[in-house]
Amino acid sequence: MSREALHESLSAVMDNEADELELRRMLAGDNPELRATWSRYQLARAAMHKELIEPRLDIAAAVSAALADEAAPVKTQRNGWKSLGRLAVAASVTVAVLAGVRLYNQNEVAGPQLAQQAPQPSIAVPQTSQGPTVLAGYSEQAEAPAQAAADSAPVERWHEERLPSYVRQHAQQAAFSNGSESALPYARAASMEER
Amino acid sequence: MRVLPLYVVIGGWLSMPALAADAESWMGRLAMAEQKQSYEGTFVYERNGSFSSHAVWQQVEAGRVQERLLQLDGAPAEVVLVDGQMQCATDELAAQVREAQAWHGQRLDPKALSEWYEFRQIGDSRVAGRPAVALAVVPRDQHRYGFELHLDRDTALPLKSLMLNEKGQLLERFQFTHFSTDIDKQQLTASSGCKTVSISKREANLSSGWRSDWLPAGFKLLDANQRPSPASSETVSWLSYGDGLAKFSVFMEPLRGALVEDARSQMGPTVAVSKRISTADGDVMVTVVGEIPLGTAERVALSMRTGAEQAQR
Repeated sequence: MSREALHESLSAVMDNEADELELRRMLAGDNPELRATWSRYQLARAAMHKELIEPRLDIAAAVSAALADEAAPVKTQRNGWKSLGRLAVAASVTVAVLAGVRLYNQNEVAGPQLAQQAPQPSIAVPQTSQGPTVLAGYSEQAEAPAQAAADSAPVERWHEERLPSYVRQHAQQAAFSNGSESALPYARAASMEER
Repeated sequence: MRVLPLYVVIGGWLSMPALAADAESWMGRLAMAEQKQSYEGTFVYERNGSFSSHAVWQQVEAGRVQERLLQLDGAPAEVVLVDGQMQCATDELAAQVREAQAWHGQRLDPKALSEWYEFRQIGDSRVAGRPAVALAVVPRDQHRYGFELHLDRDTALPLKSLMLNEKGQLLERFQFTHFSTDIDKQQLTASSGCKTVSISKREANLSSGWRSDWLPAGFKLLDANQRPSPASSETVSWLSYGDGLAKFSVFMEPLRGALVEDARSQMGPTVAVSKRISTADGDVMVTVVGEIPLGTAERVALSMRTGAEQAQR
């Protein structure tokens, strides 16, 4: 595929307009330049949307790793098997992306100015050795597939079982237990309850 | 490292008209208004990983303050307070509150606060369609965060509050989108999802088996308690500290030989730091949760000691 065509595909992926075969084409190959472009696009989008993103996290690398284990769909395959293969690819991509989302939410607060940093070399696998913890506000990202992918060790689970409760206790006590002004601490406490 | 960016932030504020005396009088008006002014409005709250919208109604009649807060998106988190005491709340929102202090503890006290924060008037602004005055609340050391407060020119109530870290990064936003002093009294009534809560009142408890060897200047012990652990049969000691604006909690849970590493995480303004410390009774995991900088939380966690006497500052 030509360079222009690849970058066009990349735009389509960013706009969620690509199908999974296009995504496969984009990410399956060992093309560091393309992945760097992907990371820059992600950063640019995050900056535009004022989302917080961890630039050192290379979701694309994790997706590539997942794709490497998949056999490419062959044209002569019967339709039924073909769509099943596509499903499997889509599922593994979803797991990789979910795991990535979970990881970058655990990182420390980072302002939009992160976008000014140069993208760092990739971290392909979620790191479980930093003692990451899932807090109440992020419970929706810690759904079953992500949990399985991140394979949280008992060491981290100790914190995961306690921190959400500690954080909620802190927020609710601060908001309601001593008759102080309440709108802002109430909102903080409510934000810990999101599911 | 930490001090330098702070000066950059303060420098930015200094370059604007700095009217400290005016700022203090605005803070004084704010402290009065919160207990005297009826109002209603809608506001948004934003922090890293969360954005939500809420409605508030507050009526002050013959010195009695009735307040209803309701989340407008997602699950309808709701709470009704009378004179700061919770009357009813939706299930999750109050699940962790079992008792409240019988006294009105943490009223905003600008005089006391001015020892730890500097107030500066930084200009005029407009929030929720209303003219506002913008104040900077600048921490005097690196152990607390700063705020930018936008007070309604008419009522002195906060229409917007931004919490900033030492690098000037936004940690949370609280901002009204609609604000009115004409209140629809029917809206003060709780919905059926707001379940009556009876919270036992007690005096603040300042004795526990723990004390802190070091606290950031201005932070005092507010309350202490013991609870069953959320995940084991152990008892967790809880201590609450505040400087009049910022608060943090300290949780101590015995590890009984469990192999657990230290942890740290941050969700918007709230940091959580867990540190293992050794005591005569075995290792204990100390977890500090609060709206304070990470380094301060770590230092507090490492300063917790067992002992009958609580160090008072």
